[in-house]
Amino acid sequence: MLLTLLRKEILLEFRQRYAISGIVLYVFSMVFVVYAASIKVQPQVWNVLFWLIVLFASINAVVKSFVQESGARQLYYYQLADPAMLLLAKIIYNTLLLLVLSLLAFGTYSVVAGNPVKDVPLFALILLLGSMGFSIAFTFIASIAAKANNSATLMAILSFPVIMPILLTLVRLSAIALRLIQDTSYQRDIWNLLAIDAILVTLTFVLFPFVWRD
Amino acid sequence: MWWKILSVFLIVYTLIAGTLVPLKPGVTYVFPESARSGEQVVLQLHGYNSFYTKAPANEIRTWLQFDDAHAIKGDNVRVLNDTTLEARFAIPTELPNAVASVMLNAIIDHPNDGVSLLPSAIEVAKDTIASAAAWQANAISELHVKKDFSFPYRNVIYESIRNTYFHVPMWFVLMFLFIASAWYSVQFLRYSNPAQAATLDASKGQSLIDFDRKAAAYAEAGLLFGLLGLITGMLWAHYAWGAAWSNDIKQLMTAVALLIYLAYFILRRSFDEPEKGARLAAVYNIFAFASLVPLLYIVPRMFASLHPGATGNPAFGSEDLDNTMRMVFYPAIIGWSLFGFWLAQLRFRYQRILDRATGLD
Repeated sequence: MLLTLLRKEILLEFRQRYAISGIVLYVFSMVFVVYAASIKVQPQVWNVLFWLIVLFASINAVVKSFVQESGARQLYYYQLADPAMLLLAKIIYNTLLLLVLSLLAFGTYSVVAGNPVKDVPLFALILLLGSMGFSIAFTFIASIAAKANNSATLMAILSFPVIMPILLTLVRLSAIALRLIQDTSYQRDIWNLLAIDAILVTLTFVLFPFVWRD
Repeated sequence: MWWKILSVFLIVYTLIAGTLVPLKPGVTYVFPESARSGEQVVLQLHGYNSFYTKAPANEIRTWLQFDDAHAIKGDNVRVLNDTTLEARFAIPTELPNAVASVMLNAIIDHPNDGVSLLPSAIEVAKDTIASAAAWQANAISELHVKKDFSFPYRNVIYESIRNTYFHVPMWFVLMFLFIASAWYSVQFLRYSNPAQAATLDASKGQSLIDFDRKAAAYAEAGLLFGLLGLITGMLWAHYAWGAAWSNDIKQLMTAVALLIYLAYFILRRSFDEPEKGARLAAVYNIFAFASLVPLLYIVPRMFASLHPGATGNPAFGSEDLDNTMRMVFYPAIIGWSLFGFWLAQLRFRYQRILDRATGLD
């Protein structure tokens, strides 16, 4: 069931290729805007700007999760499948999408602004954890925001404060991967991040039944 | 009813005790602030909240202390006035340590005022080292402890220590109110399906829409206390840290936490159907509360902070309070909390009356 739903999300994305192309273009544009605005990028600045690019790209990639299909068709899905499974499929799909996007952002950003990453395996793990955290929080908030009319604005104001603990932990971890700060006990931060993710994903499943019904 | 009276009583007590109880005597500065080894120096010690004239000069003892084992005792103590002492120190020719200069703490022990201390009061410079015997014959002992109702004297924060009863309790109240708000959101969702809603007892004043109003009212009151906490904190920071806003991690995270609730109010009002807005706002309130906890209690531990306890533990350390302060601090927390709940309840009732008057109930 989950696999079918996941396959549906991926198929949908490939049939409406303009949406994903739009997001990819968004990442490229942002990298070049940021690079044009700050010619020489110090590692500290690199770290912060990178996560800002990933943050904005992620919000824009996820916000369409619940609005690209009509309300009636979604209601039809909720009758066919368990709504929780549907949400889980969307979270997994968005995790994959965000991982691809952040790798893409990392690639282009490294080409134009240099690659200061010293600990590549750690950085890759951080990208994965980041995609997971962003995907969980943003997908759920998108499901709430989709119910309102001005969903783009709502999406931003609802998700920024909520994503803050995850974002700050990610920035700190990636500063460690860039060797900007020395910390041998960064595993604790990774566990913190996983704990926050676990709490949010649990709440997501408890609360989603109250969101999808109209 | 009784708890409203109690809250007023405790807040009045906090205001009176928190502002009027004097600080224990302290030492603000000594003059001169530097000396060379081997010289006789007559040191002026300037006290704060002290009453040096209330005891004969020969009963007042003074030391310049390097560490637990090394100190020199002053003689010829003269009391100039209530806040100024003079004492003569024969600084030994050698320093207690193999360094070019040492910082010494000034200690005054007064029979009435008790003991007071100024860390790193005077710098003694010297370039050679030999025996440290002259430093070890002056053990600091039999100190007087002032036994009365007064707050500790702390260098750097001085009188602003009183802000402990107004700044710190705000965060307790904020957390209690946000927990209450999340709880009413849970209640709203629990009773939101028709079968459960039928079990609500209207004669006891229970209704679904009231849960939403309560959640909003408690969030509003929590927001108010968050603002008060930020303002009292900025006032304190202005004196203790030199700037009202220094981008301390706790300041930033609190500002972000308040944004969560501002977003909650906007979400609640952005639907045409009130029921839909109430339901989705309740969902967001619970979801956001789950990230409020790491925001206020986990993230600040990962970054350096100017707050007491600093890195690793931004919480309020037990060593920051003495027993006199506890006698005001704990009642302050209870008083402000009850007051916060009272405020939220009034806000809720006012909103209900307003809704009924405009036909929304």
